[in-house]
Amino acid sequence: MSAAVPREQPAGWRAATLGSRIARMRLGVAVPSGRFRFSVILLGAIVVFAVLGPIVLGRDDPLKIVGGLYDPPSKAAWLGTDNFGRDVFTQLMHGTRTSLVIGGIAGAVATAIGVVLGTVAGFRGGLVEEALMGLTNVILTIPSIVVLILLSIAVGNRSIVTMAIIIGVTSWPWTARAIRAQTSSLRTREHVDIARMCGAGTLSLIAWEILPFMLSYVVLAFVLQMASGILQEAALSLLGLGPGDGTISLGIMLHWSLRWESVRTGAWWAFVPPTVLLTVIAFSLLLLQSSMDEFFNPRLRRK
Amino acid sequence: MTRFQRYLLFKTIWFILAFFAALAANFFLPRMIPGNPVDAIVARLAAGGTEARALQRVHETFVREFNLDQPAWKQFLTYLGNLAHGDLGTSFAIYPAPVRDLIADALPWTVALQLPAILVGWLVGNILGAIAAYRGGWFDRGAFVSSLFVSAVPYYCLAILLLYGLTVHWPIFPSSGGYSYNRSPEWSWSFIGDALHHYWLPFFSLVLIFIGGQAVGMRSMAIYELGSDYVGFARSLGVPDNRVVRYVFRNAMLPQVTGLALSIGVLAGGALITEIVFSYPGIGTVLFSAIRQNDYPVIQGVTLIVLIMVLFSNFLVDVAYGFIDPRIRAAQRGER
Amino acid sequence: MWVADLVAAYATASGRDIRAVDGVTFDVQEGEVLGIVGESGCGKSTLASLLALVPPRSLQMLGGRFGIDDHVISPETSDRIPREWRGKLVALLPQRAMNSLNPTARIGDFAFDVLRAHESRVTRRQAIERARQRLEQLALPPRVLESYPHQLSGGMRQRVVTVISTLLNPKVLIADEPTSALDVSSQKALVLLLQRLLDEGYISRIIFITHDLPLLSNIADRIAVFYAGKIVEIGPTKQIVDEPQHPYTRALISSTLVPEPRVRCQRLEGLPGAPPDLRMPPPGCRFHPRCRYATDICAREEPPLTADGDDRLVACWWANAQRQNVEGGTHESRAAVGLA
Repeated sequence: MSAAVPREQPAGWRAATLGSRIARMRLGVAVPSGRFRFSVILLGAIVVFAVLGPIVLGRDDPLKIVGGLYDPPSKAAWLGTDNFGRDVFTQLMHGTRTSLVIGGIAGAVATAIGVVLGTVAGFRGGLVEEALMGLTNVILTIPSIVVLILLSIAVGNRSIVTMAIIIGVTSWPWTARAIRAQTSSLRTREHVDIARMCGAGTLSLIAWEILPFMLSYVVLAFVLQMASGILQEAALSLLGLGPGDGTISLGIMLHWSLRWESVRTGAWWAFVPPTVLLTVIAFSLLLLQSSMDEFFNPRLRRK
Repeated sequence: MTRFQRYLLFKTIWFILAFFAALAANFFLPRMIPGNPVDAIVARLAAGGTEARALQRVHETFVREFNLDQPAWKQFLTYLGNLAHGDLGTSFAIYPAPVRDLIADALPWTVALQLPAILVGWLVGNILGAIAAYRGGWFDRGAFVSSLFVSAVPYYCLAILLLYGLTVHWPIFPSSGGYSYNRSPEWSWSFIGDALHHYWLPFFSLVLIFIGGQAVGMRSMAIYELGSDYVGFARSLGVPDNRVVRYVFRNAMLPQVTGLALSIGVLAGGALITEIVFSYPGIGTVLFSAIRQNDYPVIQGVTLIVLIMVLFSNFLVDVAYGFIDPRIRAAQRGER
Repeated sequence: MWVADLVAAYATASGRDIRAVDGVTFDVQEGEVLGIVGESGCGKSTLASLLALVPPRSLQMLGGRFGIDDHVISPETSDRIPREWRGKLVALLPQRAMNSLNPTARIGDFAFDVLRAHESRVTRRQAIERARQRLEQLALPPRVLESYPHQLSGGMRQRVVTVISTLLNPKVLIADEPTSALDVSSQKALVLLLQRLLDEGYISRIIFITHDLPLLSNIADRIAVFYAGKIVEIGPTKQIVDEPQHPYTRALISSTLVPEPRVRCQRLEGLPGAPPDLRMPPPGCRFHPRCRYATDICAREEPPLTADGDDRLVACWWANAQRQNVEGGTHESRAAVGLA
């Protein structure tokens, strides 16, 4: 999944200033692309499905047993039942909701850590930067799934929030790297110097002179982190290290369907829906990210 | 000291540091439970329905192997000492099988699956991305969107769909394992043929994903390089396009090599789950059953092996980069 | 080399073309250095890319033609220019020579690629030997052939780029702001190198494009002043510098040749405003909104390039009027102009 992470870009060429961006908008060049609209519509539909679906359809208990082992789709159970005889469609709605919540929290945690470490490293420079980026690179090299497995063993009872935090604290390094590169190219801008001469401290410099100029960047990072958070959760749950207490997530659905051999017995309704849904969620987030990236960085646009 | 030697030295020191960081992480992370770790683990096993005799065994093993009455740093030293002797502990579930043997049986399958998949995926993906960047037009649009889609498909999802499609719905490939049930591993042509027959599906499901991710990255690198000044200058002197494109690909390739080093970890982690889906007899499947049975020594053994393999291949890629990048190589010969 | 009524425009998304080169005519004689000077954004670099046969994809040649010896480029043939013409017939000395070399190739390998592109039978050894000889003749160290670009200083990189772009002895060298990123001593070294290439006969003409008029007055035989895609004045360097006729030329000279603070302030007075938006150039003379001598006719009709003396052309109603006055015998007004 190397595409799910921001690549290191030659420093500076992303640095479209707010001013020039606004100028482009005025010229009417920066019309959101079809891909952008498509991904927003797709994501909107997924959120409605996960949040409003259970309420509108009155299916609030994904653990209720409604049939036997792998009952095929019927009028009562639109997507059949799983290995415990639970309704797959209901599970799908609740599972999507869990995935979105975990992805959102994990994405926010990872982006926050990445932005803080990245701006501090990029802004302070010198030894602080060396140390922080050394740490980042070491953590980057270690497969996050391994750290996630080790952490999940340590934390016995995992709620949705603990899962999200565990995922968040292991996936910030890409963001930290990207934000650092961006900060150190912004640091030498004139407006920063002027603010410093006016007596602004490090914190307020970062808050007022650096961060506003990479808001687009932070948003992009968050979208990527959310996508990777959702996929990480699904991978962990698939391994059997997902949230406990009867929570349903798309990964947990896959876990049970693999353990109970739904694939080899041909019970496609147990594993195809969560698989497709995970793919669609990840794809629409990546599409959103790449179309926003092209919008903010016209150099990526082909002439 | 030449720049190349400095580069090697730096990478070696970095590798050693990262290695110990990985060891420490592998040791301390699972022990972050408050209170006596053994009691906590035993309590969880008991809640999971493990029988009393096994619990007793777990307790004894832990105390004996890890000097649990000692302070944490002494335990860590003991752990390092055991590792130095190649001792990864004893499995709870398959008592008293040494973890080392379990992993040694599974590891060749994992390496045989992942190494070719990563190399082939990297190569094909980069070629595809470079062609897309150069050709532009419909080829670019098609290749880009489908690469984006393929790279957005979680590897396990693609694996599950391929498994269903090509073994159950259209039974072209065998549905599980690394070889047929009625066989046991041996060095014979017929066994190798059988193993290859089981190999293709997990291999392709990994390769497809790698291709997608690499192609997307290479495309944007190559587009960036195509717009650079040296391309314009070479063209203005009449250097033919195929020659210029070679410069571009080479230069766009260099960051892709570093990118490979950084993404090996992600790739390796993903491949573990692919093994689980296909019940491939590698360490991913070992890990899956260990997690199901709360077999902590095996889990930790597998994570350790994965960490070491990933760090080592990282190191190799970094050293190879030193040879590939002519700027570092030139420094090696003492040219200024 | 000659250029006749050349017109080229960029297509934009809004559908309104940007005519960056609009009816340009001049010629360059054998052994001559023609300087082209103007503010940034006036179309100089667009002209350079056209003449060097490497126009950007969005640039369209709309009219006119230009030629070197018996090779002629017209709008019909502009997208089918043989690759071999580039480098052999005309070569470009690019704006940012710092980044113009492939960072992962040795200079010698690049020299080989350039020679090989035009002589398919040349071997690597022969190519490098030729490059070595050329460097030695120009008193540059041949060891640079073994180096990667990052191992050379900025000035040396610029000289190496110059040597490589003239390796095939092109008929015309188009130097597009080659000095803008260099310090003064490297600028001087580059100018001397170009002079030497010309003297030794490796190249026969140079078109030197810059915004740096003082530098140009040292190297150019003639100077063309470019404003908003058009030539407003062209003539021998001495005449242009000593007796500029067009108000824009005057403004350029007074702002650059006398680097005193007082005069610099005058420039702000003397040349208000910014170059026009080339999507909507002003009617009549394109300089009239900024010109202190502008009259009614300037806003209505475009001034033609008219001869002033033997080899000078000026496109200005006011200058025409002045000249007629001078010819009529009123010497006072000429003195007044000189003081202005």
